[in-house]
Amino acid sequence: MTTVVSEAVMPGVASRRKLLQASVSCLCSEAGFSAVDEISLETLTEMMQSFITELGHSSHLYCELSGRVEPVVGDVVMALVSMGVKHSSLESYAQRGRRLVLPTPTQAVATKQIGILQTGQKRPHPSHIPDHLPAFPDSHAYVQTPTHKQPITDYETIREKASCQKRDVERALTRFVAKTGETQSFFLVEDLTHYPLIACKPMEKPFLAALLPRDQTFEEDEAAVHMQKQEEANAEAIKAAKLDQEKENNELMDNLGPNGSLMEMSNSEPFIMENPFIRPVKMPLTKKKSSP
Amino acid sequence: MDKKIPKIKREKVPERDNDVSNSSSLSVSGPTIPQRPYKLAHQILSLTGINLQTKSVIGFVELTLLPQKEFRQVFLNAKQCRIYKITLNDNLELQFQYFDPTQEICSDSSTKSLEVFTPAHQEAVSSTDPDANLGELIIRIPSEAQHLMTEGRSLRIGIEFSLEQPAGGLHFVVPPGEGTLAERCAHMFSYGWENSARLWFPCIDSFSEVCTWKLEFTVDASMTAVSCGDLTEVVYTQDLRRKTFHYVLSMPTAAPNIGLAVGPFEILVDPYMQELTHFCLPPLMPFLRSTARYVHETFEFYEELLGTRYPYSFCKTVYVDVASKDCSSFSTLSIMNMELLQSTPYLEQTYTSRNVISIAVAEQFYTCFLSRQGWNDAWLTQGISSYLSGLHMKKLFGNNEYRHWIHQELDEVIKYEEEVGGIILDASKPPGSAVPTSGGGQQPIRSPDSFHFWPHSAHTVTPRHARIMRKKAHLVLRMLELRIGQPLLIQVFNKQLSLAVQASQQKCQANQWGAMLISTATFAKAIFTVTGKDIGVFVDTWVRQGGHARFQLSFVFNRKRNTVELEIRQDAASGAQPARGLRRYVGPLVVALQELDGTFRHTLQIESSVAKNDLTCHSKSRRNKKKKIPLCTGEEVDMDLSAMDADSPVLWIRLDPDMSLLRAVEIAQPDYQWQYQLRHERDVTAQMEAVTALERFATPATRLALTDIIENENCFYKVRCDAAFCLAKVANGMVSSWAGPPAMLMIFRKLFGSFSCQHIVRQNNFANFQHYFLQKTIPVAMAQLRNALGVCPQEVLRFLLDLFKYNDNTKNRLSDCWYRGALIEALGNTASPVVAVVAQSASALTPESVTKETHQVLEEVARALNLEKLLPTYKFAVTVGCLRTIRKLQKCGQLPSKSDLFKSYAQYGQFHDVRVAALEALVELVKADSRMADWEFLLDIIESDPEPRIRHELLIMLASNPPFERGRGSRLDTIPVMDRLWKLMNTELSHDAMLRNDIVDLYNCLYGRRKPPCLSGAMYQRVAEAPPTALESAEIPGLTHRDSLSHMDMEVSVPGSGFGEDGMSVASVEVVAGITKEVLVQQTVTDTESTTLDIGGFSDTSQSLPGLGVDILKKLKRKKEKKKHKHKHKHKHHREKKEKEKADKDRQKEDVTALSSESSGPPSPDMGLTF
Repeated sequence: MTTVVSEAVMPGVASRRKLLQASVSCLCSEAGFSAVDEISLETLTEMMQSFITELGHSSHLYCELSGRVEPVVGDVVMALVSMGVKHSSLESYAQRGRRLVLPTPTQAVATKQIGILQTGQKRPHPSHIPDHLPAFPDSHAYVQTPTHKQPITDYETIREKASCQKRDVERALTRFVAKTGETQSFFLVEDLTHYPLIACKPMEKPFLAALLPRDQTFEEDEAAVHMQKQEEANAEAIKAAKLDQEKENNELMDNLGPNGSLMEMSNSEPFIMENPFIRPVKMPLTKKKSSP
Repeated sequence: MDKKIPKIKREKVPERDNDVSNSSSLSVSGPTIPQRPYKLAHQILSLTGINLQTKSVIGFVELTLLPQKEFRQVFLNAKQCRIYKITLNDNLELQFQYFDPTQEICSDSSTKSLEVFTPAHQEAVSSTDPDANLGELIIRIPSEAQHLMTEGRSLRIGIEFSLEQPAGGLHFVVPPGEGTLAERCAHMFSYGWENSARLWFPCIDSFSEVCTWKLEFTVDASMTAVSCGDLTEVVYTQDLRRKTFHYVLSMPTAAPNIGLAVGPFEILVDPYMQELTHFCLPPLMPFLRSTARYVHETFEFYEELLGTRYPYSFCKTVYVDVASKDCSSFSTLSIMNMELLQSTPYLEQTYTSRNVISIAVAEQFYTCFLSRQGWNDAWLTQGISSYLSGLHMKKLFGNNEYRHWIHQELDEVIKYEEEVGGIILDASKPPGSAVPTSGGGQQPIRSPDSFHFWPHSAHTVTPRHARIMRKKAHLVLRMLELRIGQPLLIQVFNKQLSLAVQASQQKCQANQWGAMLISTATFAKAIFTVTGKDIGVFVDTWVRQGGHARFQLSFVFNRKRNTVELEIRQDAASGAQPARGLRRYVGPLVVALQELDGTFRHTLQIESSVAKNDLTCHSKSRRNKKKKIPLCTGEEVDMDLSAMDADSPVLWIRLDPDMSLLRAVEIAQPDYQWQYQLRHERDVTAQMEAVTALERFATPATRLALTDIIENENCFYKVRCDAAFCLAKVANGMVSSWAGPPAMLMIFRKLFGSFSCQHIVRQNNFANFQHYFLQKTIPVAMAQLRNALGVCPQEVLRFLLDLFKYNDNTKNRLSDCWYRGALIEALGNTASPVVAVVAQSASALTPESVTKETHQVLEEVARALNLEKLLPTYKFAVTVGCLRTIRKLQKCGQLPSKSDLFKSYAQYGQFHDVRVAALEALVELVKADSRMADWEFLLDIIESDPEPRIRHELLIMLASNPPFERGRGSRLDTIPVMDRLWKLMNTELSHDAMLRNDIVDLYNCLYGRRKPPCLSGAMYQRVAEAPPTALESAEIPGLTHRDSLSHMDMEVSVPGSGFGEDGMSVASVEVVAGITKEVLVQQTVTDTESTTLDIGGFSDTSQSLPGLGVDILKKLKRKKEKKKHKHKHKHKHHREKKEKEKADKDRQKEDVTALSSESSGPPSPDMGLTF
């Protein structure tokens, strides 16, 4: 009569509920019923269970309330009282005559655990872990098992492999480009199978390609970096000057009308720098000169 | 606005000074030259419309003159300019005449010979020579203006002019592509050969006419104009689209020292020296940063050395694309080639870059600040700046490098002088009577006739001559240093500079500016005042005369008297007709004798062409005592003395060890002495000489000595590299007795093999730079090894391929691009000529037919070349190596010699180094295969390439490796070709003296000084008529063949490599004589077009030539003889049916191809006999 689900959830629940159901059935037959619907029985069992649970819970609370660990009869009585159950007739009810007695439930045979293939030695718990905690799983679950060959650390082979790989990559790349683009040949007959050469085309700025090589990148050397830092200060100054200049230019565009104001602005230039090349550009000396 | 500032200046000009005795206007060329009746005080140069798109410039110059006396004409220099208007004092318009005689040198071009051209060129140049107060532009001062100059006030002559697409003087670089000019990195700069400022603005274009300057350049707002002097301000134009750069140069400066560069430059202010500013195109900023890092050190070095502050307040360096020279120096401005930019991973470049920078800075002091009087004094400015930079190099790179360099320069000078003629540094005066050499005989060195050009003017001298002259000047100054001592010489410089600084602060009227010019006379005087020594004799000997000495030293040890009997001969220089470039030397000469007891120097007095001296030895032979032997440096070393002569205590002998003379030395001493010299002499020059000498002695002892040197870590790396090449030659010499692995293999493995497995090269680590050079050189040298069969041993090739395979640069801080380039070149060196008697035609060479070795080489080359397209290395170093290797393979007949590959790499739009390498290959191809199409390709580049530098370098290559020999009737030697060259030389290159004189050199190589043979017509005439007698005579080939064979033997045995071509062209000559004639007949019949016909057909025969020895040649001869007879019948047949000739032409061509012979043979058998 129990559901499969509950059985799966907790193994002890099934037998307890079975007994409960039996006792509910007994009570029903005492009350004169000869048959009971499955649903009704379930409901009654449920009611009975919640009642007992509630009763146990309340008694436990009462016992704790009075500073004890184990409940006594008084606690149960108090619980019954608080649940609104009359307990005076309880004793006589227990002594009733046509009481059915349920047989003592037999001990269920413990199901044997299915043997799991065990490999390796299980590790014993370290001293700080209590024994009751689950044991370590099989060693293969956490220990790395070498399943491949020993890597080769031989210098010679490594060099060999590295160079082969590099050359293969290079060859594949160049062949691909050669086969997808225009080619030249060492020989009189153009053919793609032997030594295809990527055609040489004129560049727009050959000097840039030549002076900014791409075959390898190097770390920037320290001295150059140092110099760059020193220079960055200058660069910032230039930028600031340029910004200023631009701002001024914009203003100038707006104010092209009055001549005098422009003169003042270029005179009030705050930047006086060491190097004349990073000095800001001056504004023309206006139309004053050109008009007369 | 432009004219505002000059107006202010003008008012400042005070009273004139009548003193004319100022040396600045004194011309050294002789008293006949008229002095300028006025002095130049100030000049304004204003270029308002610099347009990079249209490559045009609009400008204005104003010269402020101080009249000394009345004059009616003003001569100025101007070329290419269109002059709109000339005004006097802004209001009076002046009449002017413009005539440039250099536009057409010879109007009569009937002879087209250098004999005619050279004097005419000389006359044309000197008729506008500013030093003689002449010029292209003659301005008349009208009589109504005469009163202006009598008052002694200054006159201002203003000239408005424009330049449109100037062919010289200014170079515009405008790369094609998208974007604005600034984004495309368009820029322009001025360049020129010596005094060539006239090409871009009218001026007095002389180094001796100095004045102050005001310079204004209006450029696009995105551009920066960099020029001489101090930048006073930058002002926007009214429309704010352009800006004007105002420069003021208050230091008196000559017009040729004015330069300009305009472009979208990035500005880098030197963080160490605020006065220094560097410029480059934007993407190259990181490189500029690391290149500019040490410029300030150079300045500091010179300032400290000369005890003089840098005379100007600013200095600028601009890096531009393909400058015509590595560096052009202008006052306060150096325009450098962009290729000098480098950064730390590319350390090898540092040697070149720092050298150029150091010369550039030295030229700021000497050339720009201290200018010269005339061309005859140019040796001083050039020599002193080279000398100073030499001292700097010595400090930077060490004494070994310096001495090696001096030795190299000396060799170059000697080689040039013996080939072309003695260089006279200063020809203004004949050497004085005090010259002791006059005793022996007439010294013909002075006659300029020995040159095919006029050597005494900057504009007629060939660039090669000028380059060597500079080296010679440097050597002469170094010799002077040895005579008077470095501190005193520096003191002289210091005095000159400080006088000049004083003078420069004076006004023009004070007539002091002459102190800013140096000349031979003032220099000698300055030396006299400082040191009290008269260098008159020295100047007469080495400066006013050309040529050098050549000593042959031999000696015998006299056991009885314990003396060395020396004999020093100067045979070539003595006699009535001394050899070219040689001169007999009379005077002291140092001989250094290394004996067992130490080095002893003896100073001999050489008085005649054969000098015999007995030198007493200091040490008895006593080698049993096992004592250490002291060297010239004072250190004592152990030597293994078993090799030497048991009686003689002499270990080795050196002549003039300090290079204190311009001399060539040939010392005859036995091989063990050379070996001792190589091992134990501490002077690198002596070691180099020993290495060179040991090539002749292929013995195990030499091998051991060379091996020891290569392995010796204390030895100078260049000596070690040279020793590697020498060892390769020695190993080839003793190929039959060589035991063990190929030479140097073990050394290389020991030095560069990995620890665990020596056959794999270590991962690159170039931290030890000397090892780097060695690692780069040894494979190249090893590739030259040959086994007994004359091919490169398998083992070496495998070794080289392994180097490629295992090359790993990932852990290296330096780039391996040059190393890889060198490896590729080494692969080329492994190629040896194909030994095949059967002439393979080009079509027979297919990818399938190549040998296994060639296949491996080609694979490697193709991969490297392709990879370079995708991941270019610095300066395409690998591509350059690939191109050279391809050409070498072609030469050896392992690849068809086809030119289109090289042509594509030689075209405009490739990087300069790549183009040069491709052009080198093409020049060789043209010489070997004589294909007209290739030759025309080269001529086109000469005529119209946008880069003057490439044209110049191509011309130099052609002149040193001419495509055909004079008068041999090569099919390239045609009248149209000659016409093109003549036209270029005569009329088209008036704007570029450098190129024009390069062509003079080439023309001389191709046609000699006389009328070109192809023009004389006789030869062609005869061929055209084809007299039957000529054909008959060809049928008796006995004599001719013998001649050709003996000639061939010579050809084959002399050059070690590349004899393929030389041999073949000769070999085929005789055999094909008959055919050639025929072909030529056709040529004349069917007009010149047929020339191209027969060219395409037989191209690549030369490479497959048997160049191995007489036996093979004889076989070949027999074979070809047969063929020839067959052909002759055919020919007769043709003659009978002349009307059918045209129809048969194609067939005949096939015949020729089948015979696979070149038609470069002489057109008639008579000519053939002239070998």
